Amino acid sequence: MRQIITIIWDSYRLLAAKKLFWVSLALSTLVALIYASIGFGPDGVSVLFGAYEWENETFNSQNPLMEYLYLLLFTNVVVPFWLGWFALLLALISVCSVFPHFLQNGSIDVAISKPISRVTLFVTKYLSSLLVVVIQVLVFCLIVFLAIGLRLDSWNVTIFWAVPLIVFVFSLIFSVSVLMAVWTRSTMLSLLVALLVWGISWGSQVSESLIYKAAYVVPAQGIEMDLGTGEAKQTREPKEVNADLARLHRVIKWVEAPLPKTRDAIYLLKKKITINGRNLTQTTGFMDSGADDFDQSVSAADEDYQNRHSEAYIIGTSLAFELVVISLACFSFVRKDY
Amino acid sequence: MEALRSVSLQVPRGVIFGLLGPNGAGKSTLVKILMSIVRPTRCVGTMLGEPVGHQPTLAKVGYLPEHARFPEYLKGGEVIRYVAGLAGVPRAKARVRSVELLEMVGMQDWGGRKMGSYSKGMKQRIGIAQALVNDPEIVFLDEPTDGVDPKGRLEMRRVLQTMRDDGKTVFINSHLLGELEMICDSVAIMDKGEIVRQGSISELTEKSQRYEIRTQGGIPVDLQQRLIDDGVEIAGDVLSVYQRDPVLMQPILDALRADGVIMVEMREVRQSLEGLFMEATAGGEPSESGGEEEKR
Repeated sequence: MRQIITIIWDSYRLLAAKKLFWVSLALSTLVALIYASIGFGPDGVSVLFGAYEWENETFNSQNPLMEYLYLLLFTNVVVPFWLGWFALLLALISVCSVFPHFLQNGSIDVAISKPISRVTLFVTKYLSSLLVVVIQVLVFCLIVFLAIGLRLDSWNVTIFWAVPLIVFVFSLIFSVSVLMAVWTRSTMLSLLVALLVWGISWGSQVSESLIYKAAYVVPAQGIEMDLGTGEAKQTREPKEVNADLARLHRVIKWVEAPLPKTRDAIYLLKKKITINGRNLTQTTGFMDSGADDFDQSVSAADEDYQNRHSEAYIIGTSLAFELVVISLACFSFVRKDY
Repeated sequence: MEALRSVSLQVPRGVIFGLLGPNGAGKSTLVKILMSIVRPTRCVGTMLGEPVGHQPTLAKVGYLPEHARFPEYLKGGEVIRYVAGLAGVPRAKARVRSVELLEMVGMQDWGGRKMGSYSKGMKQRIGIAQALVNDPEIVFLDEPTDGVDPKGRLEMRRVLQTMRDDGKTVFINSHLLGELEMICDSVAIMDKGEIVRQGSISELTEKSQRYEIRTQGGIPVDLQQRLIDDGVEIAGDVLSVYQRDPVLMQPILDALRADGVIMVEMREVRQSLEGLFMEATAGGEPSESGGEEEKR
């Protein structure tokens, strides 16, 4: 236990010594504060703690869905674009050198000549490197939690689901970086390959979601598309599912199955954050009681789209990917002569 | 590729043991095997009574690798405590020990500064301190004086001798033969992955022990012949007598005096560690002194 605490503490010291970590943390705090500065009055919305105000019929404190909309801003904009992209990228740049430096001759020798198993050493070093994201997202969520609580008097602890989810997403990318570091001891190569895998995974998920939308959601919205001419017509009648695109979707889904679901896992946050027991993907539940059948069916199609992958599928396939990659890295680390 | 071949080595407890060898001889590989850093194809042996590779035994072992690198973001004292943590030394004990060790290696005034600000010699001192933090029964030091100034080397020798006096075993890998000669009780010479000589320095250099007599003027021809017949080598005005007992030198001195030969000096000559090393590794020409040291 003493050895594990030592490695974790050293990881924190390493982070604290990196300027990029503090820059990244400061930027995250700034983004969270900007989000927290958005306020709602009876007639509209204000930003930067009331410095600028706009009248708006939808975004105001009278709207019963205001908490839902405020949280959607968090789950659909702030989390995917800041925490899910920029903050993760900065975190990856911050820690991608940890393993290559650790594995340098003269450095690794000291660590593995101690009475601690190589597996414990590797796993602890790997997990403690995730601290960078844990700290960032925790600070971010705390500010958002306080903002929503103080503004809307809703103390929604489900916001903190962002911490394990985003750390999990980071661990998926970081595992690739660690594997490359163990194989090559090169910081640059481990960063580039991790980014490449991240890009491929992101591209495949975006393709899958667009094809799903075209095959299922667009027809449900009464839009008929002719893929040959590119013409589209909209009516208030749902159309048939596009069979060709549905087939293509099945192929894409099969292709992306073994890849880590970085994007889908971040959007999983919408299923984990709840308001009055209902998660943010259950859009039909948030609709006006006056909505007609067509609007209800459009909303249901959107709900189906957001729930097309089960949590077990997203987490399970991603975890399988991570376990394979990290086991391979661990095996190489343990078997290697230094 | 075979780095080591049929290496057989015995290091008794409580000695300072030196492992010598040219670059690439396999010295560091041997130590890395003992430290479980490198896995041998086959290895039979014990260290501190346990089989080589027995992990809990490593808690009683200290190690300073060659070209050791420590985290630049840590201070000297923190490096010692970090290694103590990895070795499983309790936190309170590690704190006390780090203060003691900083003082022992002469870094008490620098322990609060970051490693990044240290010179090579200072880093090496911290390296030695971290190797001793778990109060090891045996410590392996791979090129410990690399980058250390003469004063530091002197202090280091003192530290190592104190460890030996406390019953600890010190295993040093070095190519600085003069350093080893001064402190080692026992040495082994390794070449191309094999141990080619092993024993105490006096044992290893005993074979080459002889007396040299320098004369002035010539030695009569008949006396020369008698001496050669008795096994004395004569080269110019120097006579080499392969004897270890000074008593046995007296008849030769008497014979020289009887023939009126003027003797300028007589000295005991013994092969130095450098000479022994050169001979054992066939590593080139001996140095100017001929790889020998003398006692007058």
